[in-house]
Amino acid sequence: MKTIHKDIFKGVVGCAVLAAMIFALTLIAMKLGSISITYGDLFNGLFVAYDKRVAVIYDLRFPRIIVALLGGAALSCSGLLFQAVLRNPLADPGIIGISGGASLAASAVTALFPALYLSVPLIAFFGGLAAFAVIYSLSWKGTLDPVRIILVGIAVAAVFTGLGEVLNGIADSTGVSVSVSGLSQLVWSDVRMMALYSAVGIVLAAALSPACNLLALDDKTVRGLGVRVDRLRLTISAVAVLLVSGVTAVIGVVGFLALIVPHMARRIVGSDHRVLVPFCVLLGGFVLLLADTAGRLIASPNEISASIIMSIVGGPFFIFLLKRGDRHGKH
Amino acid sequence: MVSIEHLTFSYDGRPVLNDLSIKIKDGVITTLLGANGCGKTTLLQLMTKNLKPTCGAIKLDGRELKDISVKEFARRAAIVHQKNIAPDDLSVERLVSYGRLPYSSIFRPGLNEENQEQVERALKLTNMDTLRERHVGTLSGGQRQRAFIAMALAQNTRLLFLDEPTTFLDVRYQVEILRLVKTLNKEQGITIVMVLHDINQALTYSDEVIGLHGGKAVLQGAPEDVISTESIRTLYGVELPVFHSGGRLCVMAV
Repeated sequence: MKTIHKDIFKGVVGCAVLAAMIFALTLIAMKLGSISITYGDLFNGLFVAYDKRVAVIYDLRFPRIIVALLGGAALSCSGLLFQAVLRNPLADPGIIGISGGASLAASAVTALFPALYLSVPLIAFFGGLAAFAVIYSLSWKGTLDPVRIILVGIAVAAVFTGLGEVLNGIADSTGVSVSVSGLSQLVWSDVRMMALYSAVGIVLAAALSPACNLLALDDKTVRGLGVRVDRLRLTISAVAVLLVSGVTAVIGVVGFLALIVPHMARRIVGSDHRVLVPFCVLLGGFVLLLADTAGRLIASPNEISASIIMSIVGGPFFIFLLKRGDRHGKH
Repeated sequence: MVSIEHLTFSYDGRPVLNDLSIKIKDGVITTLLGANGCGKTTLLQLMTKNLKPTCGAIKLDGRELKDISVKEFARRAAIVHQKNIAPDDLSVERLVSYGRLPYSSIFRPGLNEENQEQVERALKLTNMDTLRERHVGTLSGGQRQRAFIAMALAQNTRLLFLDEPTTFLDVRYQVEILRLVKTLNKEQGITIVMVLHDINQALTYSDEVIGLHGGKAVLQGAPEDVISTESIRTLYGVELPVFHSGGRLCVMAV
């Protein structure tokens, strides 16, 4: 039992370090930006007396920070689950078109039924599920071939992106904007929505983490242990889709985060999902907030969106993984 | 314990098994023999609920397999496959503890006393107890296969299926695994059904062989009674001398 304890210990330490890093980064992100402010003024404005600058920061910068943390957490958790379910280290809900499906559904409902605002993530969830069903059924040939999933996924993602553009074009001509604008212009209601969907998804992911460990074995082996492996895979997939849909409905498609973070996490804490889920949640939040904060500051007063930063950093990382995969086989 | 009645199985419209009926004897080692594509692995998949019969029935202790849930089946029969994937950093002990899943829940994998005892027993039987803390990725091929056998033993079943358990191993580890299988049968009384690639290993380690050809069982019995130059020709379509050496039946497979 000693080895088991050692792994858990490593995970706990890792999570504690990450939590401290998130705290520090949040402090930095609160302070820096177009309105510069000292921590003293910030504290006073929040807890002692009204301060106009602090009120602006509270209304604009705080929701953005919280949504970045929650969104990063949910997205990387989603990527982790997809990678477990598809037994494919290259699976990323953005690359394989799940986010695209969710985003298209969200845009469609925003354009056609603006009154359904609060249920947009739910509609996005069904869009994501539809995309997943298409990808899964097209890639399934008795077994899941990792490369096939990626290829089918890219094609599906392209179709959804195209349809999304068409929808945006039509909506723009009528004066309604249906595209979600990343992490800028977020308000507190976005935070509440994001918190709700992410919390549900992350709790479910944590509950399913022992099951994710099993999926690392062959399907036949898992079935031999008395587990209905196909049902388990669908359940975990649904949670992964839920996680990515909630994020996509609020901040749009962010690629590569869900690919990179689980990889970094596995490198650091190993392959036990009971440790990986919490670690990915924290690391994902940290990385997206870091990308967003960097994007706000690098070319200030202009902003570079976090999704662009993730693509610039993530693209090369993806190629690196592909090349490594060539060398080591499919594991 | 396992009986197969008028089993037919077609794959993509092509019949693989055709009206096959056999009974597996209790308490012995039975090996399925036959040429590539004769359906022996398919038959094993059907017997372990990984495939569904097109027609006919497979019964375990008198009950049809389709009426037994996967969980209940896992308490009655365990399976070891030829090639097994597992995360490199999974410890042997955790892998073996998965064998207790049929008696617990995936969501509460905590091991109670009985589960822990069964894991211990499985580790000892396979001689893996000194390697329990090792990660699967650091094991040799033979040790790795023994770890998966230990997982199957932790299921504490009276019936054990092995699908070409030695195919990817060096001859030394092949013999090690087959001796272990023999011991499990003799000392623990576990009924073994396996598919083996090597005819001579099958003859040496089996109490009973079943030969498949053309989707049917063309021979069944003790190796000494049913294996001959003629029956080898029927099964494999090649003329090979069969002789006795040191009290053992051998097929000159060259």
